[in-house]
Amino acid sequence: MIETIAFYCMAAVALGGAVLVVSLRNTVHSALALGLSLAGVAGLFACLGADFLFAGQLLIYVGGIAILIVFVVMLLGRTSDLHLRQVNEQWAAALLVCAITGAGLWRLGGLYRAATSSVPATATTRSIGLLMLGDYALPFELISLVLLAALLGAVFFSRKDIS
Amino acid sequence: MSLSLGHYLVLGAALFLIGLFGALTRRNVISILMSIELMFNAANINLAAFNHYLHPAAVTGMTVALFVITIAAAEVVVGLALVLAIYRNSATAYVEDFHLLKG
Repeated sequence: MIETIAFYCMAAVALGGAVLVVSLRNTVHSALALGLSLAGVAGLFACLGADFLFAGQLLIYVGGIAILIVFVVMLLGRTSDLHLRQVNEQWAAALLVCAITGAGLWRLGGLYRAATSSVPATATTRSIGLLMLGDYALPFELISLVLLAALLGAVFFSRKDIS
Repeated sequence: MSLSLGHYLVLGAALFLIGLFGALTRRNVISILMSIELMFNAANINLAAFNHYLHPAAVTGMTVALFVITIAAAEVVVGLALVLAIYRNSATAYVEDFHLLKG
């Protein structure tokens, strides 16, 4: 019972934040709503028993990415932005695309809809660590290369004078 | 009424569709990046939910979700640096003004 209540609360936070992200006119408010939505998703990970993923989501997404986006919004924002429309004229076509994608996802999800789980959640950090340094060692090393490349790329692109 | 995999799949699909709608309709390039982050999160919810309900003993789905989070961090860092570079050259953050290559 408590799992159901927690799920619906976290789902409301995640979905409400997401709706605010795409509907608010002020981009700063949008970025703050993104942080709220990401925190809701972290709560859903906790509902699923993914404790390490919960911590990673809070540290990387809420503490890192959302803050970074807020910084860039504040660097780029102008007061005149508040009076401009923030959506283009193609919302009807976008709604159609979303409806078709949603119908496809509904049909795909129907295959697995009834699956329930009675296994209690256990701590996952140790098994994730063993998997990352065992079977997933190569992707683990590659991802560190990707992070290094992203770091260098960010420094390169945001330099003042590219000569 | 207990929770099933369907609850999480519907939630993930709803989050994905909200993100898709935002990515298609917003004019500000930072808002588009935020919508893409929402879509990444929807995929992560699905990965963790499939892991929990179909293979409770394994942690493969959570590990892949961690990789997705890392890739998303790299993507948003490079994307925001590019946005800053474009803004410095053309002083705009609206995607319809990015038309340097238009003939």
